[in-house]
Amino acid sequence: MKLRKFLHTVPMKLYLILTAVILFSFFSNDFSLVDIQKTAVILAAGIDRTDSGFALTAQLAVPKGEDRTTGGTSSVEIETEGETVSDCVTLIYTKTGWVPKLVFCDLIVIGEEAAKEDVVSYLNYFLRNDYMPDTCLLAVCEGKARDLISSQSALEDTSSLAVSQLFSDAALKSGRVVSKTLKDFAIDYYGVSASSCLPYVRKTEQPDGQGGSSGGAGGGSGSAGAQDTGSGSGAPQIYSAEETALFAEGKLVAVLPREQTLAYNLIGGKVVSGTFNAEEKGKPITLTVIRDKGKVSLKLEKEPVAELSLDLTLRLCCRSISAPIEDIASDRLSDEAIQNAGTVVRGYLEDLFKTCKESGCDLFLLKRSLYRSSLKKFAARKDSLLETVTPEIKVKVRSMK
Amino acid sequence: MKISTRQLLFFLACVAPVGKLILLPARLADAAQNDLLFPLLAHYLLQAGAVFLALLLARREESFTELLAHAFGRTGAAILSVLFALFLLFASLLPLLEQKLFVQNVFYDTLPAFIVYAPFFLFTAYVASKPLSSYGRVWDILAPLFLVGLAGILILSVGSSDFGAVAPAGAAGGSGFLKGVSSAFSWFFDAALLLPLLGKFRYTKGLAWKGALCYLAGGAAVIFFTAVFYGIFQGTAVNQLFGFTVTSKYFPGIAMLGRVDYLFIFLLALVMAFYNSMALQGSVECMLQAFGRKKYLPTVLSVIVSAGMLTAVTLLDRGFSDVLLGVGKWAFWIFPLFSVVVPALMLPLGRKRREAP
Repeated sequence: MKLRKFLHTVPMKLYLILTAVILFSFFSNDFSLVDIQKTAVILAAGIDRTDSGFALTAQLAVPKGEDRTTGGTSSVEIETEGETVSDCVTLIYTKTGWVPKLVFCDLIVIGEEAAKEDVVSYLNYFLRNDYMPDTCLLAVCEGKARDLISSQSALEDTSSLAVSQLFSDAALKSGRVVSKTLKDFAIDYYGVSASSCLPYVRKTEQPDGQGGSSGGAGGGSGSAGAQDTGSGSGAPQIYSAEETALFAEGKLVAVLPREQTLAYNLIGGKVVSGTFNAEEKGKPITLTVIRDKGKVSLKLEKEPVAELSLDLTLRLCCRSISAPIEDIASDRLSDEAIQNAGTVVRGYLEDLFKTCKESGCDLFLLKRSLYRSSLKKFAARKDSLLETVTPEIKVKVRSMK
Repeated sequence: MKISTRQLLFFLACVAPVGKLILLPARLADAAQNDLLFPLLAHYLLQAGAVFLALLLARREESFTELLAHAFGRTGAAILSVLFALFLLFASLLPLLEQKLFVQNVFYDTLPAFIVYAPFFLFTAYVASKPLSSYGRVWDILAPLFLVGLAGILILSVGSSDFGAVAPAGAAGGSGFLKGVSSAFSWFFDAALLLPLLGKFRYTKGLAWKGALCYLAGGAAVIFFTAVFYGIFQGTAVNQLFGFTVTSKYFPGIAMLGRVDYLFIFLLALVMAFYNSMALQGSVECMLQAFGRKKYLPTVLSVIVSAGMLTAVTLLDRGFSDVLLGVGKWAFWIFPLFSVVVPALMLPLGRKRREAP
């Protein structure tokens, strides 16, 4: 009888013991979570090459002391050097006592010299990190990444925010910049074409008295804001990314000027409301892209031909000479303007194709097209494709009605 | 209380697929690159056949152990049932480790302590102590949750996918296909999950065909998701370990709205919690059939099984990839043995009864 009673209570006892063990373990530790006060929230990272390895400049978000109502972002920059990027990130912890957290890192800037070597030799750290957002933007900058990250923006609280703004949706639709995330770049790099592109960022000094970080989105004292940020050295800077760095096998091989950047975006069919200049009666005019249909296809005849087709619908944006009101009221383009616009765009595309071919960058992913269409043809032509391919450029320009 | 045909079909079409949506796509991408859909299809066809056989066994209206007893006697059937229970425990280990990794990585922004996953075993200890037939109502609830969850994730993901990435077919060759097939066996034992359910549902006309077709329908959803997954990550897919949690974040609206896709991820995570506890419950059921259904035994066994799995998962906390590789290389044959060969060998056992209308 006693045994039966005992057996009857065994299940509940066992369940209670298991519950007690788990709950005791559960509530007697900190779950390895990191206190936010001890966390270094990395907003952006700049990477440069050194003789012994890498230099990492991390822009860390810090609490804003004074002007809390503005909702802006303050930052400090920490520079570390190591044999690997991981060393550099670990040194942030050693130097500051804060645990570096990459989950909010939205921008990685690569210094020009560092970009000339295989960038995945250091980007692999970010690809391996489970907590690094692969939607993080990548960019190459003129000179050292440290100088760009540490510079003071004339427009935003932090340089990283100002640079990220260059890749807004509106900017991308203008066709003046390209944008690549860590994921996109990795896909290109590990794809059969092994070619990609990144925006090339330059900074220009803003003359004294113009701009400068105001210490918050809502305004506030300029000088106080500059102290608040704790970052930024020298005069306020403005940034531009109209040029594009080309990569082959992960190495920087060429930089596209702004016209070729626009051409690349046009052929990608990404441009809406972007503008470019042509001529009419020997005078400059600006044209707005209303509709952009671009396509690249590979034709394999005796020699491979890359067909670049572009179908643009344009309207007149402005003239460089005075015009009667009837002309201003009309968006239509003259035949001459249409023809000139076609010539201009064709020239941009020809230059773009030439740059890609000369640099060995398969920007139009021709190898990938060949690979996807036929394994046999790919095996036969993959090594000679870029050298032998010729462009066939078809540009169709029409005026908005 | 019996499981109805509808509930069983819900399990096959809407619950069974959830276990294949986390690590499996990356694992297949590693083994078969852009040909990853072919090994997946092969597994689904094989497993659908096994599901067909397992459901045919239900015509006998006898439990798993009762069927075995026809050929091996009571004692032999009990031994085989315990062996099968051990297989189910072994089969549940990898999904539990996978789920633990998923919880630690997806729901936290730093790697938390193992203990955050431990309360799951309180859940399994409770669930596994209940009769297996109670799953019928659970599947009724989980099926729409799965459909909403997967549809939401696919809608948010499909626009970011380049389906051309799965071309050209055959790039990985025969060796890639075989590697893909062998590395994915540990995800396919759904027919084995049906065996402890024998005797808990009635065989209705055409159930075997319907079940196999529903399983294939769930498989079609998994194959489509895997194609979307590969189209998004292409050559880097092998590095994306958390399948359905990472595909929807590239939807343009996510940047503005935040990770609203987590609503769908949570739905699938809920379905997965029940799916992963099912093997443990099946194991308890097999042992109950072997030892006799005494009053206290379900709870005792469920607590022992859950505590055992908690210990195993704790010990293997950092060894998941070793276990995965080891199973893929040396022990992959165990899964088809128990989920395909066992139902096939059991087919002649028992006596045939009339089908219910």
